[in-house]
Amino acid sequence: MRRPVPIDPAEVALWRARLPEAFGVGPARRAARVGGWLALAALVVSWHVWFDITPKRILEGLGGLGTIVVLMIPPSPGEHWDQIAKDLVETAAMAFLGTLVAASFAVPFGFLGAKTIARNPLFHFSLRRLFDGFRGVDQLIWALVFVRAVGLGPLAGVLAIAVADVMVLAKLYAEAIENIEHRQVEGVESTGAPHPLVLRFGVLPQVLPVMVAQALYFFESNTRSATILGIVGAGGIGLAIAERIRIRAWDEVAFIILCILVLVAAIDAVSARIRARLIGRMHPALA
Amino acid sequence: MLELVGLTRRFGHVTAVDSVSLAIPQGQMVGIIGRSGAGKSTLLRLINRLIEPTAGRVVFEGRDVTALRGRALRNWRTDCAMIFQQFNLVQRLDVLTNVLIGRLNHRGTLSSLFKLFSAEERALAIRTLDRFDLAEAALQRADTLSGGQQQRVAIARALMQEPRVILADEPIASLDPRNGKVVMDALRRINREDGLTVLCNLHTLDTARQYCDRIVGMSRGRVVFDGVPAQLTAEMVREIYGMTEDELEAAETVTSTALDTVARAAAAA
Repeated sequence: MRRPVPIDPAEVALWRARLPEAFGVGPARRAARVGGWLALAALVVSWHVWFDITPKRILEGLGGLGTIVVLMIPPSPGEHWDQIAKDLVETAAMAFLGTLVAASFAVPFGFLGAKTIARNPLFHFSLRRLFDGFRGVDQLIWALVFVRAVGLGPLAGVLAIAVADVMVLAKLYAEAIENIEHRQVEGVESTGAPHPLVLRFGVLPQVLPVMVAQALYFFESNTRSATILGIVGAGGIGLAIAERIRIRAWDEVAFIILCILVLVAAIDAVSARIRARLIGRMHPALA
Repeated sequence: MLELVGLTRRFGHVTAVDSVSLAIPQGQMVGIIGRSGAGKSTLLRLINRLIEPTAGRVVFEGRDVTALRGRALRNWRTDCAMIFQQFNLVQRLDVLTNVLIGRLNHRGTLSSLFKLFSAEERALAIRTLDRFDLAEAALQRADTLSGGQQQRVAIARALMQEPRVILADEPIASLDPRNGKVVMDALRRINREDGLTVLCNLHTLDTARQYCDRIVGMSRGRVVFDGVPAQLTAEMVREIYGMTEDELEAAETVTSTALDTVARAAAAA
């Protein structure tokens, strides 16, 4: 139902004279915008040249990948399927414990890091920079550090997951707390309730579903990333995969990968149901 | 002519709208009154097809719009613009873009995706805003405006659709009396000046009497009154609201949304 705009050109000119900013950006801003896009394109192209990314190399790589996929069929559990099962459970358990520890510490840090709660700007700035500092170091680096500190095995993995995620979750929690609806907090405040209880009854019921939902996402994501922590000796299924790749037992690698996929899908399905219930209608008694 | 023929909507075993039949000539300003839960909102949503009827038909200028699908349905929605109690503007967009949203069904999807509105459309949007003294606010974010201003932006958005009918669902229930008057004046202006049919759910009798050519009273989903304001007797008010007009007025004074008190105060000042 396209219709012409019912207005004549003289009137358009009139309004353009009265409110020029409403008719789009000026030539200077337009040039800056085009310049920005061109700079981005130049950067992307130059990195392709630097990394020697050529269609030929990508095609050859695909050929190599094809060979590996052929070797993977049919997947086979090999002789040590009981060990694989144990390692899978260990991987999920590491992810769960690590996420649980991270989320528990992230809640108080999140409250302290929200500028609507801890109002001192210097304190807020320092704490946020601390969050950033921890987030700058990847899980795998933490795993290497903790393997040296507490020895080989799942404990190093749990600690690596917990330390790497606590500050990420704290930042997300702080932002969730900053974005809550203030009216509800005001309602509790207006009754004369002491500050900690204002947080407990005005803020927490609003953010708790978000916090749990994000922790569940992290649990699922950590189960995937915990599969590689084993490569540096921090427990889990990673070691089993690395060993089999070294001896080119691709059929067994494929079997383990399929097991991981099933595990992650199962965790995702369960946590999706929990999240839906939490965000939909959390039982008042749990809030 | 907008005709409703035996329009019915059931939710489970609750009948929200119960075989409503009305014929509304083009250009009439109709106030729909009744207690909350009487089916007023559902009736407007049935006309716009935001809700599907269980039975009955909506006929506009001889054309049955109850069975429309896809593009035809969207065109019908463009023809009958909605005004909401909570304004329903996109808070993070500026006022100008909110008003231009009214043109979306009149223009190409691709250019709209990139907000490539033409100078003509922008000028029309500003002119429409200027009718309600809001041209200067065009580049502000919608959430920086007061409720009364936001509702006038919503009316400007509705006009950009070039509709034939305006459906206003409790347009002043979230506003203070003074802003309520400004918004009702705006609705009456577009009714008189643009010849648009206006169907307006109202929760105060005074507002309906003051602004509307015709009043439809609903109770438990049924039309129990249909006439000019003068015909609305005390007997009728009791049937619609289940209380006398004095009791109703007392309740209205408590909620202080009656408009004539403002008008009187303004006249006295």
